[in-house]
Amino acid sequence: MIVAARIFFVGGLTSFRALFYWLTPWIYIPTMLIAPIFQILLFAYIGRSAHLRSDEFYVIGNALQYSSIPCLFAMAQSIGGERFQDTLSAILVSPAARIPLFFGRSLPVVLNGALVSAFSLAVGSLILGVHLPASSFAPLALVVLIAAFSCTGLGLINAALSLRIRENAVLSNVIFGFLLIFTGANVPLDDLPSWMSTAAQGLPFTHAIAAARKLANGAGLGDVGGLVGAELLVGAIYGVAGFLLLRWFETISRRHASLERS
Amino acid sequence: MAAIEAAELRRTYKTHTGTFRRRAKEIEAVRGISFAVEPGELFGLLGPNGAGKTTTIKMLITLLIPTGGSARVLGLDVVHQAREVRKRIGYVFGGERGVYERLSGYDNLRYFAELYGVPAREQKRRIEELLELVGLKGREQERAEGYSRGMKQRLHVARGLLHDPEVLFLDEPTIGLDPVGAREVRATIASLTEAGKTVLLTTHYMFEADALCDRIAVISKGSIVAEGTPLDLKRGVAQGSVVEVEVFGIADEALERVRALGGVVAVAIEEREQAQVLVVQTEPDVELTQAILSHLNGSDVGRISRREPTLEDAYVALVSE
Amino acid sequence: MSSLRLLGVSWWLQFKMIMRSPFDGIGNVIYPLFFATTAFFVFRAGDSPRTLIYASFGAAVMGMWSSVSTSAGSAMQRERWWGTLELLVTTPRHFSLILLPTTLGLATVGIYNLAATLLWGRFLFGVHLTIAHPLLFALAILGTVLSFAGLGFLFAVSFVRFRAAWVLGNFFEYPVWLICGFLVPLSFLPGWVHPISWALAPTWGMSAIRESALGGSPLPDIGACVGLGLGYVVVGVLVTDRVLRAARVSGSLSLT
Repeated sequence: MIVAARIFFVGGLTSFRALFYWLTPWIYIPTMLIAPIFQILLFAYIGRSAHLRSDEFYVIGNALQYSSIPCLFAMAQSIGGERFQDTLSAILVSPAARIPLFFGRSLPVVLNGALVSAFSLAVGSLILGVHLPASSFAPLALVVLIAAFSCTGLGLINAALSLRIRENAVLSNVIFGFLLIFTGANVPLDDLPSWMSTAAQGLPFTHAIAAARKLANGAGLGDVGGLVGAELLVGAIYGVAGFLLLRWFETISRRHASLERS
Repeated sequence: MAAIEAAELRRTYKTHTGTFRRRAKEIEAVRGISFAVEPGELFGLLGPNGAGKTTTIKMLITLLIPTGGSARVLGLDVVHQAREVRKRIGYVFGGERGVYERLSGYDNLRYFAELYGVPAREQKRRIEELLELVGLKGREQERAEGYSRGMKQRLHVARGLLHDPEVLFLDEPTIGLDPVGAREVRATIASLTEAGKTVLLTTHYMFEADALCDRIAVISKGSIVAEGTPLDLKRGVAQGSVVEVEVFGIADEALERVRALGGVVAVAIEEREQAQVLVVQTEPDVELTQAILSHLNGSDVGRISRREPTLEDAYVALVSE
Repeated sequence: MSSLRLLGVSWWLQFKMIMRSPFDGIGNVIYPLFFATTAFFVFRAGDSPRTLIYASFGAAVMGMWSSVSTSAGSAMQRERWWGTLELLVTTPRHFSLILLPTTLGLATVGIYNLAATLLWGRFLFGVHLTIAHPLLFALAILGTVLSFAGLGFLFAVSFVRFRAAWVLGNFFEYPVWLICGFLVPLSFLPGWVHPISWALAPTWGMSAIRESALGGSPLPDIGACVGLGLGYVVVGVLVTDRVLRAARVSGSLSLT
């Protein structure tokens, strides 16, 4: 158990640091802290020019949804990225238990994603003058964390696919795009065709965004328990599916020796 | 007038460590080197990886500005007359990079022909000629991503010759090639001097320098440690002899003791399949075999032999100083 | 003369390379479509056919800008990766003649984005467009492509020394989308933003495209757009020399 915990924490953190050695403040600040603010502003102003909904709607939707950038990219990097560093096979032949190994890698990703969301939520609200009740801060923080968890689950699937697809950045961008349209971040589910709003129920962020909007309007954590539970469930299903996919690809890769690029 | 002339050429790099509290560190890559290459000569810069060969070449081809000293190519200053220098030189480096993989070999050459201002009328003929010279005729319409290492390398050579430069700089052109590919590239290089080109070649392969170069400068840790014809360099150590002792695991202290022996010029360890070989170069007329063996007590010792020094030994002696 | 030939040949080869990278291509076309789709949904909820047409052109030019901003910033970095940057610098040509066709190639691909977005709006959201002045519309697009190439060129040279160039390129995607009047009329933005918008050629290109399509007078906008584009090129050429010399001093032309 303790060994597993060590693989989980230490292994996860080390790999995160090693793969992001290039992630200097010069990259982190523009992509993780400034870009989401611009995304919020863009859609808030689009909403204003279409004479629709309040700024709060767009601040919450985009602040949460933007954590898909760190969650999807970082997860794919921390697993798929190693393929290019030729270390994945070294890790896979090691007897380290797989579950703490892969999930350990996702822990820092979740925390970072939540941080990005929380930051953009706070700064976006300040810039646009959106007032969030102080009593909602703690439950909002929890929802933000759960949304990041849920998207990191999807990130695990993305990471598994990155073992097979070379252009992973494109895939991550495409997933980000789908999340932008489907999850209700900018378009209320009622305004979407019914097949889209149905599909949205199975995506990360959908329930978390709905919950966060309720919390901002004064609801208590108890009122959004169902939504939070659904978000957790979605994340857990993706996480398990991603893990199984990774194991499966690991097996095929070993058989076809396709783990390394050359 | 020399075709290439370097005078006290010096280059330091500043590197930074740390993200928030940046500390600057200076690295001296080239520490004041001087040499001259005559027109039509094939001159080799020979040295181990990291000795400063590439940095030197990059200063000569105007990619890097020296931090000290000066250099001229065909009498033109590489810092202040960069554009004039660029018109007259070709640059080829080894490895697979430096090719537009998504373009065909022909398009790669066409692009650079345009960049070097080869007149439109002559381009086609020139490219055909070069494809012939480097043996890529018939494959030129394929995308370069499908080329083998050797083919990419030969495409590089063709690119470097497009504008018929007077001086060519070849930076480890055979690195990473299989023996056959390397031999083909070497044959092409040898034919360049016959066509009257001046060539500066860097390599860390001894035999390559020996086979191709008229003169060699051995560079080690940013300084030139010897210069002359391959024959001169061999002669420098020819008076001594070499003792080779096969050992199975040797302690560092033992190595140090051997190195400290009177009459020893250089000591090196070569890895063989099962064992290591201790290579000891000695001064002439000294018989050290017994002394060496006595310092190896405790190690398993295999075959022992004595031979005449080769250019490789000369090189090892020079760069291990 | 030979410089013009160089521009033409390298523009064509650059274009060839971009079209041959299916994944980049798909990514470049699809990514802005997600934003376009979102915008269509938002504006459709607003329920005014007029605004949907407005949004359709806006989203189309957003796509054009994406193809330049995301790739131009990293144009130099890509050459660095390929190991070709040093080879380009050792040629006797002025470096701006080498770089300009690259960003021009990227901007040309933007026409594809424009068409894709307009068709997307037509077939998925039923936005019917009639172009009032087809000839001026074509001219407006051409002017926009040229000015985007100029702005991309200025980015590309300014980023030569930054290893994180690709991020900076992406970084300019959103702000231009936001402040150049693509989907948000300038009048909605705070007053202090206006001068910045006016200094950016995309603002005028956008306006020219709308005016020509909806039946206004696009010529002044086209003039401003092309004029600013040329201005970026002039500044870019001046920056090129400084930047390259600095890179030769610091030794940052190669990756290793």
